[in-house]
Amino acid sequence: MSVSRDDFSIAFRSALLQRGGAQKFSILSLIILAIFIFFLDVYGFTVIKKTRNIINDVVFRVSYLASSPARLMPNASKGIADHFYLKEENEKLKKAIENYKSLDLNLEYLTNENKNLRKVLDAESETSNQKRIVLSKVLVDKNSPFLKSIIINKGTKSGIKKGMPVSQDNNLVGRIVDTNFLSSRVLLLNDLNSRIPVTLGENSTQAILTGSATQNPKLEYLPENYVFKDDVNVFASGKDGIFTPGTPIGKTLENGEVKLFVDSSQLSFVTVNLIRLNEEEF
Amino acid sequence: MAKAKLLNKIFNAGPLILLYYLSISEVDTNLEKVFEIFTFNLPIIIIYFWILKKPSEMGTGHIFVVGLINDVVMGFPLGISSMSYLVVCFFANYVRNKSINTTIASDWLTFFIALIFANLLFFSLLNNFSDVAISYTKIGYNTFFTLFLFPIFWVLFSIYQNNLIGGQDA
Repeated sequence: MSVSRDDFSIAFRSALLQRGGAQKFSILSLIILAIFIFFLDVYGFTVIKKTRNIINDVVFRVSYLASSPARLMPNASKGIADHFYLKEENEKLKKAIENYKSLDLNLEYLTNENKNLRKVLDAESETSNQKRIVLSKVLVDKNSPFLKSIIINKGTKSGIKKGMPVSQDNNLVGRIVDTNFLSSRVLLLNDLNSRIPVTLGENSTQAILTGSATQNPKLEYLPENYVFKDDVNVFASGKDGIFTPGTPIGKTLENGEVKLFVDSSQLSFVTVNLIRLNEEEF
Repeated sequence: MAKAKLLNKIFNAGPLILLYYLSISEVDTNLEKVFEIFTFNLPIIIIYFWILKKPSEMGTGHIFVVGLINDVVMGFPLGISSMSYLVVCFFANYVRNKSINTTIASDWLTFFIALIFANLLFFSLLNNFSDVAISYTKIGYNTFFTLFLFPIFWVLFSIYQNNLIGGQDA
């Protein structure tokens, strides 16, 4: 019995303290170092935060370079595939034109919707501020099962601050959650931590768009007995004072989820709205 | 002769290069587009297998740095992935010290224990010391698929080891 206990403790100690060959450091010393770094980062002292910002900037750029081959490969194969499927593409385009024609027929519906949206917008000054945008490139778009975020190549140097809305082609993509000097992290709308006040439908129904860690975020806090319909446009309501009212987000699905206008896995360039820069500190 | 030596060095460094590349590049093992719940943790499989079979090719210092890079890229608090990876290293070291010869089944079982401990540490630290909310269902799927795919990678890495690197460390 005592032999087996000795055996266990020897193996245990050896696993923790063993060094030699490629193992320049013992696991125990590295675990202690990791714990030390973790608590320094969590209870963020100013110096540590600044150091981390610099590390972030460097790592994001290296990551961008390292990801270049992975980005080029799908593009090259897509180009070849496109060349071979021109006919198919032509048919698809014809169908798309027909769809657009049918959209024209929905003019009345859109007019009503526009009227409601004008009520929501209610802020000419906000729209005039829209010129204050920063175009930025997506540096890292690493798909994580737990956090849905992207890294962009503009940071505090360009006037970006936490909380600022990020969009692509005027469609909302997410908001800034972390800033470095030369880069920022954008929390996407489908992240579990994302909550955005939205408005939808002809009655300007108010709801909260909540990320659910899946492809599509879902609508919550809707009026009682609200019945979900397909294809209802969802816009930012702007009630949080961060997002510009009327910014398009997506279309509803029957199960209460929202199909976003922007596919977050296909982002190359996004715009950061600096609208709140001089008005509010986040 | 020199060319063969260089090739041998590159093959030996293969797992470590793959580990660094996975942590720093956009390449990931989150295949939600293929199947909505399909995500797994390849770095943990790589670390466990190579520490168990060929520790001379997988330095713990490198694993520590890979963890830090992963934290920066993913936006987690610094050091959290390193701790999780080092726990896996510890289990692999312990199993290697205790056993003379391992099979795919015994490795799978011990990997399960290592994975549970590593994930438990990772998510409990994240839950208690960070504002980041995480879906527990996703954690479950991730753990399940990582465990489920371990034997497949075990076979692949064994083929790589036998054909390009050489036998197990003493």
